[in-house]
Amino acid sequence: MKQEISGDLANTRCPEIIKILSLGKRTGRLYLTNGAETGNIYFSEGEVVHAQCATLTGIKAIHEIAVWTSGEYRFFVDEPADMQTIIMAVDEVLSEITGHLRQMDKITSLIPSSAAVYALEPDIREKEIQLKSIQWKVLAAIDGKTSIADIAQAIGFGVSDAMKIVYTLLRMGLLRDAAPHEIHNERRSIHLPETEFIISLKESLTRAVGPIAPYLIVETAGELGTDLLTDSTDQKAYLIETISGKIPNEKMSLKFLDDMTDWLKAEV
Amino acid sequence: MKGTIKDLLQIPGVQGYVVAQGKNIQIKLPAKHRFASAKDRLMHLYHDLSKDDKRPGNTVEILLDDTLMTAFLSGNTMLLVLSSLRVNQALLRMTGKLIIANLGKE
Repeated sequence: MKQEISGDLANTRCPEIIKILSLGKRTGRLYLTNGAETGNIYFSEGEVVHAQCATLTGIKAIHEIAVWTSGEYRFFVDEPADMQTIIMAVDEVLSEITGHLRQMDKITSLIPSSAAVYALEPDIREKEIQLKSIQWKVLAAIDGKTSIADIAQAIGFGVSDAMKIVYTLLRMGLLRDAAPHEIHNERRSIHLPETEFIISLKESLTRAVGPIAPYLIVETAGELGTDLLTDSTDQKAYLIETISGKIPNEKMSLKFLDDMTDWLKAEV
Repeated sequence: MKGTIKDLLQIPGVQGYVVAQGKNIQIKLPAKHRFASAKDRLMHLYHDLSKDDKRPGNTVEILLDDTLMTAFLSGNTMLLVLSSLRVNQALLRMTGKLIIANLGKE
């Protein structure tokens, strides 16, 4: 039977999809998107044989894709790879991904996202500092204005790799947050439309996450390309669901879903 | 929490559901539905999906021809919702997440 698998990365992450396709001994191309970024992972009878993401290939490309927590995926049956860049068993690939995700967890505890912007720290603690050439490449691109993601793209690195390097540079005391006061003032000026939906969304989300609720709404709507004045129930539901996935406390996330599901049902 | 099976079945496009837990499986689908008598296949799917307790998400979506299968997993319990492709998928997932959270507590 012809079967196509597709879905949302907010619900099923890359390692999960790899496991499912591997269990099914599938052959074909897994296409993934994360905003403007796209990636492909090729399978041959359940084995991962090739991956590509921007200029990266092989396991580096999988590392890049594995950290995506939003976007979509779709599996195209019988679209085999035209080259092999991965020569390891699926279990090894998954173990590599687990190690990488663990490392990224540590990194994201210090760097909130690839959208973070850093500036050079003028007062460094150490007398002598040794840098690797790739660290210097990133350091030379730090200007207090450009995000890590944009720097990665400009110098041809994967976003995960750039984040790892920035993490090391931060730990070395070479970087600081860029102009926190300006960023703070810019955030303070966020103004949400006062429709019934947005008011309910904001109230319910404020109960879950506190005063950052308006920023979370604007940020998520921006990521999804959703107009906050939309009349589409589908888009509203998608926005609510995506926001709920960003609430760290599971109980609060379910409570938020519960409140907003009631609201949506009244509309359907 | 108010997420109930009744709420789920009221979503336009939802055809029915399956609840699997341990060795038990409960199939609630119209008699003529292609999966109404596919107990073994559904059980097989449940075992495949539930054996990994380190999954990063707890929702799996499978598109099978003209049917969307959305599986919600919590511990050893799986709620599988079968629907048409025109269902409001986000609303379905929201309701499913609430139901599986309730089932998990029972």
